[in-house]
Amino acid sequence: MPDLGNWDWKSKEKMIADTAEWKARFEDVWEPYVSPDGEKIASIVKIGEGEFNVCVNGETWEEPYEKLWYSRFSPDGRLTVLASKDMEWTMAVDGKAWENSYEYIWDTKFSADGKVIAATVKQDDVYGIAVDEKTWECSKELQSIASYVISPDGKTVAAIAQTVPLGQADLEGFLKGTWSVVVNGKPWQNNFVDLYGLTISNDGKKIAAEYRAAICDYGIVVNGAPWETTAGCTWEPVFHPNNNDVVTAPVRQGGRWFLATNGTFVWDKGFTNILYQTYSPDGERIAATVATSFAKWTVAVDGQPWRTKFGECVLQPYFNPDGTKVAAIAKDRGFWFLVVDGTVLGDGAYYDNIWPPVFSPDGDKVICKVEKHGKYAIAVNGKIWGSKYEALWDPVISPDGTKVLIRGIEDKKYYRRIVPLASM
Amino acid sequence: MKPTIAKREPVVDDAMDQTEAKLRPEQIQKVINEVIDKETGGRLWTYVNTCIHCGLCAEACQWYLSNDRDVSYAPVTKIKDTIWVMLKNKGAVDAAFIKRCAEIAYTECNLCRRCGMYCPFGIDIAYMLLVVRRICAKLDMVPLYLQDTVHSHAATMNQMWVKPDEWIDTLQWQEEEGQGYVPSARLPLEKEGAEIMYSVIGPEPKFLAQLLGNITAIMKVAGLDWTMPATAGWDNSNMAMYSGDFEVMARVERLHHETAQRLKVKKIVMGECGHAFRGAEYDGPTWMGWMKPPIPIVHAISFYYDLIKSGRIKIAKKAEGPITVQDPCNVIRNGGLGDKLRYIMNAVCAEFVDVTPNKRHNYCCNEGGGVINC
Repeated sequence: MPDLGNWDWKSKEKMIADTAEWKARFEDVWEPYVSPDGEKIASIVKIGEGEFNVCVNGETWEEPYEKLWYSRFSPDGRLTVLASKDMEWTMAVDGKAWENSYEYIWDTKFSADGKVIAATVKQDDVYGIAVDEKTWECSKELQSIASYVISPDGKTVAAIAQTVPLGQADLEGFLKGTWSVVVNGKPWQNNFVDLYGLTISNDGKKIAAEYRAAICDYGIVVNGAPWETTAGCTWEPVFHPNNNDVVTAPVRQGGRWFLATNGTFVWDKGFTNILYQTYSPDGERIAATVATSFAKWTVAVDGQPWRTKFGECVLQPYFNPDGTKVAAIAKDRGFWFLVVDGTVLGDGAYYDNIWPPVFSPDGDKVICKVEKHGKYAIAVNGKIWGSKYEALWDPVISPDGTKVLIRGIEDKKYYRRIVPLASM
Repeated sequence: MKPTIAKREPVVDDAMDQTEAKLRPEQIQKVINEVIDKETGGRLWTYVNTCIHCGLCAEACQWYLSNDRDVSYAPVTKIKDTIWVMLKNKGAVDAAFIKRCAEIAYTECNLCRRCGMYCPFGIDIAYMLLVVRRICAKLDMVPLYLQDTVHSHAATMNQMWVKPDEWIDTLQWQEEEGQGYVPSARLPLEKEGAEIMYSVIGPEPKFLAQLLGNITAIMKVAGLDWTMPATAGWDNSNMAMYSGDFEVMARVERLHHETAQRLKVKKIVMGECGHAFRGAEYDGPTWMGWMKPPIPIVHAISFYYDLIKSGRIKIAKKAEGPITVQDPCNVIRNGGLGDKLRYIMNAVCAEFVDVTPNKRHNYCCNEGGGVINC
């Protein structure tokens, strides 16, 4: 994580930019992005026929490009954009392009502190990962990269990659295994029919994924070593936050889903489905989204489902800092609800959209971005608090837990506001 | 039961021939009984025990009618020659029988569900043939062309082995093509919070890329807030649903819907593909345990109907000459969009000539159900 303590938590309000002025200046202004600290707002802007630039707080970069897309701020506040000129692509960071260019580049990711920037690249029909401008050196010519993960410290990057060429309609070759995991450029020794759900331990030392051994035969593999048993189906595994020897995944047996750790069922009760298993910060508890029966969705904590059920879906659960509470976003009858420990917050308040919630350090307040009737707002414990915005980003709680950073656009003006948590 | 005499030209399928040579009787029996015991229930047994063998379903089937009323193509015969035998023998059948089941289930039935409408008891015969496909899929007895497509779904999450960069690159190219029609048009990638996520089938970026340029122009003219994902999850098609590989089907559908959830859109608008609608609207969500798609899905027919009826897009010039339409089974018979389709046809054609029978009584085009890979 970047050092949030260095952010400005004192200024009550800053009007960073008037985006209405941008609309007058440029032929087209794309949707804006804001930096994590809220100090910058940026949009890709069209400045002429086949000519694009990036506008940050009203200032454009020195150099325009023929194409720009995927503008994303790194956690430490640098703006990355994928940029093309003369039929070649590269990464532009705060207006400065990487020295290397590529046939194509996509899927920018960052280390937790933002110091490391990575992206998938293709050059001369060979795929790889570029980390801070340096492309992997791999012993095999990678045929494709499906996805990749980066460790929090940015030192380990692992990808699901096709390591073996495959001819058209070569069913036999496909079932021999053409996919592997490549870690910092080094492929695992074994290949698999398919790989999914790649994940990396917090210390970056272990990689886990789902693998497909054959038609309807799935398992979990950790650093190349499969679990002893396979299942009819699996979903993505997760690592224990503090113990990289412990991996947990939903597995399907006999038409029911169970939660298994290192290959052994830890929830003996089967569900119609289990998704998004999540450890508490200390790793002592596990929550997951479950369907107890068809169209009855809820959250189960340590295998025990909430009494309240939702008819459409429940998204990923979130623990509070001490692991005693769990929040989730649920959908029923076409509306979204914020739920904590099985209770719908805000006296049953419902929204058109809800973004991931954050708990206050003491767990008393749950804060999130919500949407209703085309406007965005901050909701505290499920109830709308303060102004309504034309655009809004997720709230951030200060390291000392006393203030909240709110980043939003009102009347086309982008504001950065600091609000005492106690006042919300 | 005597086996039906079916006169067919020999079919060579390397994948099925190789599987036939490898399959062991005990393996076949185990899979059949697992599927019957754990994946079916009252529905299958009700259908099997309710059928009075009247044969009225035959007249519904385009296979039967277009083969001079050859009874071996009648829906009831296809059931008699497959699932009834499996049930009667408690799964004790040989590899040659499974191969013939696969030929029947995959290449002589489109799962169009017309026969179910003609059955006096409303038996969903197509469901039983999908159970047969499920058994065949678990035994890897799937026609080569179909299994290769399922492998594409499994490996790339799309139907046509489209690689991630090829997908994005194609969208950016087609954005430029769309700007050829409407200079200010844009194909917004990964725009979180847009109203609509537009999803397509694999053949669009692979063979019919101009459709992406067309939608770029249409969305701009209609003034809609939309986006397309730059990640896997963009393909709404699902041939795994038709092979019977439901685990791959579910993974594809889950990713499709979760991509819409990640982008925080209000709805998914999809292109015209009928089977994709079935997979995304019904079969995929059902397997996942969802009552309905967690993000609502709007089929292209409903979408264009609304755009034309509301005046958001206007038809500058109608297509000349007599033009007819084929009612796609999964969105017309099984989705109820027949009247909307005709509204669109009349709006865009100077001389629309309807077919008979039409709407929910339509004949299958014989392409669907994975019989031909689009």
